[in-house]
Amino acid sequence: MVGMSIRLGACMAVFAGALLLSGCGSFQVNPPLARHDPSSGYRFEKLEAGSNSDKLFVVLVFSGGGTRAAALSYGVLEALRDTQIQWENRRISLLDEVDVISSISGGSFPAAYYALYGLRIFDEFPNRFLYRSIQSELIDSTLTPAGLLKLGGASFGRSDLAAEFYDREVFGAGTYAEVIARARRPFVILNATDMTTGTQFPFTQDQFDLLCSDLSGISLGRAAAASSAYPGGLTPLTFQNYAGKCGYHQPEWVDLAVRDHKSRINIRRAARAENRLSYTDTEHNPRKYIHLTDGGVADNIGLREPLTAINSLNNSWSVLRLINQKKVDKLVVIVVNAGTNPTTRRDQTPEVPGLVDTLTAAAVVPLGNYSFDTLELLRQTVNEFNESMRLVSGCKELAASKGPRCELDIPIPHQIEFFPIEVAFEYIEAADERNWFKNLPTTLELPRETVDKLRKVGQQILNEDPEFKRLMEALHGCIALAGQHC
Amino acid sequence: MEFVIVSYPIRRPVYVDGDLSGYTNEVLQMDAGTHKFTLAPPEDCDPIFCEVMVKGTTVLLPMKIAFIKKW
Repeated sequence: MVGMSIRLGACMAVFAGALLLSGCGSFQVNPPLARHDPSSGYRFEKLEAGSNSDKLFVVLVFSGGGTRAAALSYGVLEALRDTQIQWENRRISLLDEVDVISSISGGSFPAAYYALYGLRIFDEFPNRFLYRSIQSELIDSTLTPAGLLKLGGASFGRSDLAAEFYDREVFGAGTYAEVIARARRPFVILNATDMTTGTQFPFTQDQFDLLCSDLSGISLGRAAAASSAYPGGLTPLTFQNYAGKCGYHQPEWVDLAVRDHKSRINIRRAARAENRLSYTDTEHNPRKYIHLTDGGVADNIGLREPLTAINSLNNSWSVLRLINQKKVDKLVVIVVNAGTNPTTRRDQTPEVPGLVDTLTAAAVVPLGNYSFDTLELLRQTVNEFNESMRLVSGCKELAASKGPRCELDIPIPHQIEFFPIEVAFEYIEAADERNWFKNLPTTLELPRETVDKLRKVGQQILNEDPEFKRLMEALHGCIALAGQHC
Repeated sequence: MEFVIVSYPIRRPVYVDGDLSGYTNEVLQMDAGTHKFTLAPPEDCDPIFCEVMVKGTTVLLPMKIAFIKKW
């Protein structure tokens, strides 16, 4: 009886202790910004171009898709490193000319690593991330007593634990302060999704200005965790909003775009402006905390932000502004899309699809359709640039055919050559191989052989892309063959 | 895409919505909507700035915005 009382007492003590400690788990608070300073922080214009020329402007886009996406993107980085081009009288690696990387979820891991450590990625990243059973390690760290106690806190979720893990095990606790100190292109944008607005939330100082928060104090592990907070498996991450406390003023275009709302002249621009205002509204509907989930919820390709930069002057790193200033001659957008299309036996049976199957379809199908439209927008943008030029040259030709006196002198905007390149499994020629890749799961652990196949196929699809071949011709490039250098 | 030519007697940097976005007397591309146009200092032009709704232009028929030199 006495022994039983002691055991019961001990159990209660442990339970009480656990309850006491359970409130301790709280999210890592993002630091406030003392004073808004547009000349400091992680901004495109603050990064030194060095020998990287604006004339050849290269944007890489890494989609979501767990380790599958990370390995495919890493393979493309390897291919770009090994591809030599002739540019401005120099023989250089195409990777040296990359200006911007925009990434989502799984694609954010190689992007963040490259931002933090540059070329060291090629020595370290496979063992630090790609070949590891990250998913199992995450589960193990969750199931420790310390992990379980932390998870008892209402403002601490599984993604907070994942962020700590990434900081410790993958990124060496590196913060944006270290990325800023490198002061080198590419400008790497990790994208998450704002759960409330459903819009993309890029990890740039321009975005954190809205929260009056200092991005330099945030770790790459936390940014990658927000970008890859896969709904269900992982929880959203919380960020504190200090809006109104750093003297920040919205850029001029925001007010102009909001005024255009009624006229519906450019709904997309007005929506972007209103989204910005949702963070800085301190009177009517202040948002004290911002909850970020996987970047793939807003755009699983990661292309929307670059498209805005290409199509609009009102973007913190507007490429269109550079084009108008005649700084860009060739614009290259390489989309690494690790999207899959798993085979299903659903249509082989008359049975009503189950709840899980139906809910999965409801979640995945809109995502796939949106990604399809996003890629269509890229093609439309290219067509729009090319179409206006065809129109001018057609008119000139027609007028000139009427005689020399009819020749037209039409002022034209600065001309660029646009190279839209897409690395996706659907471009693998062999059906068996294509299906194998399109059936790979979305997970943070894949067998080593699968990772190696993804790296290799990334290089292969890139080298076979017709637009990449056109680019190589234009740049007298040497396409590296698998496992070889130029 | 919209097309605008900001004219001025000499070549001057053009700011659209507060950002350097090109030069006078050249075709500038931009997204549709109301934009604020200013020229780089000195403020010897008239008007000092101009807010215009840019829409319905084509590469063959760009919108023309004229700044004149103040004497």
